[in-house]
Amino acid sequence: MVGAFEQALLAAMIFVIMLGMGASLTPRDFYLALRRPQGLVIGVVSQYGFMPLIGFAMTLALALPPPVAVGLLIVSCMPGGTTSNIFTYFSRGNLALSVLMTVTSTVAGVVLIPLVLLIYAAALDLEIPRENIIATLLVLLVPVAIGMGLRRLSPNAGAVTEFFGSALALVFIAFIAVSWVPRNWQFLMTTAPATYAAAIGLGVIGIAIGYAFARALRLHPRNARTVALETGIQNAPLAIAIIALTFPADEQQAILAVGALYSLFIVVTSTAVTMLFRRANAAAEQKMPDSLL
Amino acid sequence: MDASHGHQGADRRWTAFYPAGASTEIEGTAYRTIGDLVRSVSATYGRAPAFTTCLPNGMNGTLSFAQVDEMSDAFAVYLREVAGLAPGDRVALQMPNGLAFPVAAFGIFKAGCVLVNVNPLYTAEEMARQFEDAEPRALVIVDMFAGKIPAATRGHPIPNIVVTRVAEFLPALPRGIVGLVQRWWDRSVAPVEVPHVRLPDALEAGRAHRTRDHVEVDAYRQALGPGDLACLQYTGGTTGVAKGAMLSHGNLVANMEQSLEMIPALTRGGEVALTALPMYHIFAFTVNLLAMYRIGARNVLIPGPRPLSNLRRAFENYRVTWMSGVNTLFNGLTNETWFLDSPPRHLRLASAGGMALQTAVARRWEEVTGAPLLQGYGLTETAPVLAFNPLGKARDGSIGVPVPSTLMACLDDDGRPVPPGTRGEIAAKGPQVMAGYWRRPDETAQALQGGWFRTGDIGVMDDDGYFHVVDRKKDMVVVSGFNVYPNEVEECLATHPGVLEAAVIGVPDGASGEAVRAYVVARDRGLTEQDIRAHCRAHLTAYKVPRQVVFRDGLPKSPVGKILRKDLRAEALAEGAAPRAAG
Repeated sequence: MVGAFEQALLAAMIFVIMLGMGASLTPRDFYLALRRPQGLVIGVVSQYGFMPLIGFAMTLALALPPPVAVGLLIVSCMPGGTTSNIFTYFSRGNLALSVLMTVTSTVAGVVLIPLVLLIYAAALDLEIPRENIIATLLVLLVPVAIGMGLRRLSPNAGAVTEFFGSALALVFIAFIAVSWVPRNWQFLMTTAPATYAAAIGLGVIGIAIGYAFARALRLHPRNARTVALETGIQNAPLAIAIIALTFPADEQQAILAVGALYSLFIVVTSTAVTMLFRRANAAAEQKMPDSLL
Repeated sequence: MDASHGHQGADRRWTAFYPAGASTEIEGTAYRTIGDLVRSVSATYGRAPAFTTCLPNGMNGTLSFAQVDEMSDAFAVYLREVAGLAPGDRVALQMPNGLAFPVAAFGIFKAGCVLVNVNPLYTAEEMARQFEDAEPRALVIVDMFAGKIPAATRGHPIPNIVVTRVAEFLPALPRGIVGLVQRWWDRSVAPVEVPHVRLPDALEAGRAHRTRDHVEVDAYRQALGPGDLACLQYTGGTTGVAKGAMLSHGNLVANMEQSLEMIPALTRGGEVALTALPMYHIFAFTVNLLAMYRIGARNVLIPGPRPLSNLRRAFENYRVTWMSGVNTLFNGLTNETWFLDSPPRHLRLASAGGMALQTAVARRWEEVTGAPLLQGYGLTETAPVLAFNPLGKARDGSIGVPVPSTLMACLDDDGRPVPPGTRGEIAAKGPQVMAGYWRRPDETAQALQGGWFRTGDIGVMDDDGYFHVVDRKKDMVVVSGFNVYPNEVEECLATHPGVLEAAVIGVPDGASGEAVRAYVVARDRGLTEQDIRAHCRAHLTAYKVPRQVVFRDGLPKSPVGKILRKDLRAEALAEGAAPRAAG
């Protein structure tokens, strides 16, 4: 699907983007997110409680063929991905909470992914690549830490890094959306409507339920928006790696369908949701008189 | 001016409540002019940071005391030798807070020219009126608003235009990024179409001239005295006709010293001040720009504090120990989640002015930050501070006690002081009181009577000498510390073809203290609130635009046909437009 060079390029882009994200943060942001861990707990419950349930319900509702259903279940059991941090940043959510949720759900995934699959897929025997998990954490935490350090060293270095990181993030999002379609044209044409519904629905419903759940538990709207994006946005590359490792080549194509489609549509969905969240954020901002302020 | 010194004979009972360490008089201050002050203070603090501009994204730039001194010298030379200005020539300065502000302002003072602060948000019409009156020979303006120059100077051109920018004197990379974003993303900056020079080029020209011709910059300011004019600070005064309060070097230096006496807790060379209020307003001009420079503080300048999240990086990146603000700002901050999550830990004191500080807001601020919030009182004409609450002895709802070397009293209609507990017009004497209004002897005579400056505010002094403002003699509306004169808004309304007649009053408003309300008698039935507001927005700065529009069949009038704003105000109060928090 993606060549080694492209993969390296994407990893480098993500590194720079996360450097920028980190430069927008201070240690105090993490301290605050940890001091009131409700948000984190709600996020992880939402991640491993609701998403697999949504995935499972959709396999039944859409009457998906077994290989597609397996693919959907695997994607729905994944932890949050780096993309969720980027969208949280742009939607003016709580980035520290988002990063902590990604880290927590990724680490917890080592235990929780097999456990959840045990419930929904009768112990589908998956091989979870530890090195991918470690790589995910490194690509997330190392640049974030460096970014924070840069800001502490010099607020200007931090602000410039943040500027370039976020600019690159926009390029990155556009690149994924635009380059995906021609690369997978044939695949898009031959995929069944039910598979489309599953790939799009997982993200949309995940975000909606994540938000409703967080708000029902009286999380601040900013944190609720963070939980929503974190819940709906899955680490799809991890799902693809797991499938590639676990299943023989001739079975892979059908199982990969949901994961591949999801990677495209979650970018589209999240972009729309981010614009909605930004508008909500602006509307909630205090109106200051034009004079002194 | 001399008559205002030494009030020893007068009853100044309030001095018993001065904070520990405060003198009751500011003795013949150490500085004759602001130029002297800048030179002397800069020599003391040298390479320490004096000003830091902090943009909403955290990008910043800093000038040291020595740099501010050198750059303002260069600007003074530019004004005098390159632009050819003479002492006493007016120079208009129209920019939000930024590093260029102190460089330009101090340069103007050192050159012996007169600074005219102009609100950068003014419409071209409002600018034109001020330019017509002040007749500036140079204008220093931020590029964002340079598009208004042609319309604002039609008929009375300004020969020298110096253009600066928000990110002026920031390091090259952030400056470049801000420039690109403003030009191509925000589209807030367009190419400047009038002949002009950029501020850094003006400084270069000044430096070159100084070296080549061996210009003695010190000679400019040594020729000045405390009585020389420093500022024309525009205000509507008590009557609403825009006029320039003539503030001398002596007025401003004295008021700076008086303000500092009331906050002796601040240490020399150890404070970090946050300047979120615009320095073109007299409150931040004297208290933030001058007083904080005087004590060697690092002054963190915020170009635009709206929305309030623009202040977040400044609070995160700098250990703010003192700040000034208005009720609106303090109230707004204590309603921001990020501020409540991480209130400034190093804050020692905050000073409020510009508009009445609500007791509830002060309480909440002190709860959140753990630092006292003290209210002061003053007017443009008094440079501005007249009274301040002493640290540790503040009283709810009071504007505090008169600052050192100042006499305040409540006067009856004949100009005689009334006993404590009785209402009267607040009047003041002191070294900070202006010499008069620029070229308006009649207005000056009205404001300065029998040696007293009449504030137009009705107040009460209690037995200890604390003052309370209870009413306003004039019809002026104060929106977040900015004066709105009903006359001006009514005149604007009257130019709308659909308006038969209109009256404007202020109504209490939780967010801005007061809000402008227009009563309109429509000529045609189709006239809407939106039409009215759009019309006002085209001609007036946003804060003057009526927030509320009420359509009526007629307006209350006196027997001679004068519209009775007083009746409308009483009506508005009766219908429950009451303030949310007690003032």
